[in-house]
Amino acid sequence: MRWATARSRSEAPGAPPAGATRALRWVLFGVLFLTTLLPFGVLVVTSVARSWFWPDLLPPTVSGDAWTELLRGGGRLAPATATSLLLGLSTGALAVAMAFPAGRAMARLRGWRRHLAAGAAFLPVAAPPLAVGVGLQYSFLVAGLGGTLPGVLLAHLVPAAGYVSLFFLGVFAVHDDRLEVEARTLGATPAQALFHVTLPALRRPLLEGFVLGFLVSWAQVPLTLLVGQGVVPALPLEVLSYVQAGQDARAATGAILLVIPPLLVMGLAGFALRDRPVVVA
Amino acid sequence: MVPTPRRARAARQLTARQLTGRARTGLLAALLLASPVLIGVIYAGLASVGLAGVGARGLTGLPWLRVFADPGTWAGVGWTLWVAAASTTLATAGAMALAVAFRGSGRLDGAARLLALLPLPIPHLVAGVGAVLILGQSGILARLAYQAGLVAVPAEMPALVSDPWGVGLILALTWKEIPFLSLVAFSILATRGTLLEEAARTLGAGPLATIRHVTLPVLWRGMLPAVVAVFTFVAGSWEVAVLLAPSDPLALPLQVMERHTDPALSRRGEAYVLVLVALALAALAVAVHERLRSRWEVLER
Repeated sequence: MRWATARSRSEAPGAPPAGATRALRWVLFGVLFLTTLLPFGVLVVTSVARSWFWPDLLPPTVSGDAWTELLRGGGRLAPATATSLLLGLSTGALAVAMAFPAGRAMARLRGWRRHLAAGAAFLPVAAPPLAVGVGLQYSFLVAGLGGTLPGVLLAHLVPAAGYVSLFFLGVFAVHDDRLEVEARTLGATPAQALFHVTLPALRRPLLEGFVLGFLVSWAQVPLTLLVGQGVVPALPLEVLSYVQAGQDARAATGAILLVIPPLLVMGLAGFALRDRPVVVA
Repeated sequence: MVPTPRRARAARQLTARQLTGRARTGLLAALLLASPVLIGVIYAGLASVGLAGVGARGLTGLPWLRVFADPGTWAGVGWTLWVAAASTTLATAGAMALAVAFRGSGRLDGAARLLALLPLPIPHLVAGVGAVLILGQSGILARLAYQAGLVAVPAEMPALVSDPWGVGLILALTWKEIPFLSLVAFSILATRGTLLEEAARTLGAGPLATIRHVTLPVLWRGMLPAVVAVFTFVAGSWEVAVLLAPSDPLALPLQVMERHTDPALSRRGEAYVLVLVALALAALAVAVHERLRSRWEVLER
């Protein structure tokens, strides 16, 4: 093995190591492959399983009941999906509308002010949604927002605006605003500079911020439960109640629905792969 | 429109004035973002001493006394810290191993990176549902054990869901947090590792020594803010715990919800005490996170 050692010693640190470690890499890859994909496979099989009793490894019969029920709009999954989509899209749009100017203003800060601002924006991200929900519930009830769609939307906006603001803080920290200044020098009004220069240049971050806001709302459980009072039927709540009721096929179908938009986003935009600091942990 | 020198100077001054104006609004914007949490804190503070909320009957320290005198609180806190520490440690170790093993440019590396990041945008609840279906006593794992002749009936399968050690919960959270930590680990190695490692190798360090004394320390220091964030998130997460955690000891987030929805209104004040504790921990985590991050930024310059 002297030769192998000598060879790997001469390799660049980033190059795949040779020799015995290759087997280790394949083992690690195998474990990663299985553990990552197994849950998805199990969800798919469970969603079409019928009378799948112990100790069968695979369901004896397959049925599309849970899916046809969903497509026909029966059951609770279809309306819940519509509600969740509406909530997610509105949260994403409103979060960007708030976070874009907020992130830009925060990026102009320096020194302790910058740290204070980043810390403040981080607060709604770090605070457990459950704690935020319990703290805000009474205020929402008093304002007549409890158990209403706008109330849940506002509640989702609390963490979403925090996430997206931190995202835009990162975007504007490295954004070059000389083009905008140039446009102003040439006589553009602030609005013209914003709509004809800044926004077109930041189309991609705007889309990514929207997606981030959507995902925060899409996955939200405790805030929906506390502010929605169980009356606003978002998809995660229905999935949770189906699992707890032991209705595995419906739960798995709902869980697959929960997975589709995030995976689409990841596949289409490569979104999550690039924007490190503010990904939903 | 020709930009005369005067016009140009006017525009520059305007921009400079605007910049200071925006700098001032920067703090206001941050305050606005944090305000819902601050309102929640104020309300929870008042409600925890009987000055606000349903069942409030004037100033009292009883909720605080009852929460801290209840051994169940401490058991729940300890249990939650154990689960958060275990899953954060496992996820960190897993992410580091993946980053070191699959940092190259080969096809296997690319495929492994894609797989490692795949669960990143998936809701936590889905990880919980998957864990119930796989780890439950009649789940896939138990059925595999039956096929292998290890168990005959579901009851013989060791409980991995709602078990006292929280094995199922820890595994589900680890599965969900590895992608985020891997993403951080991969990007650290891609941007920071190479130079130091090359220096170590030039000075005669072997591959293993380089990994141990250079790569892993660089990774660890860079990942620390993310590790703090994951720990905080995991400790406060409710929806996975409600599916996978046992009823005794009761995890901290579940205690909050239980007291908050208790038919005995007098117990609701106790939920606010726990919320304040959770928010104080979150604020502490934010401070630690910001401090670690700014220290790293200084190093980067």
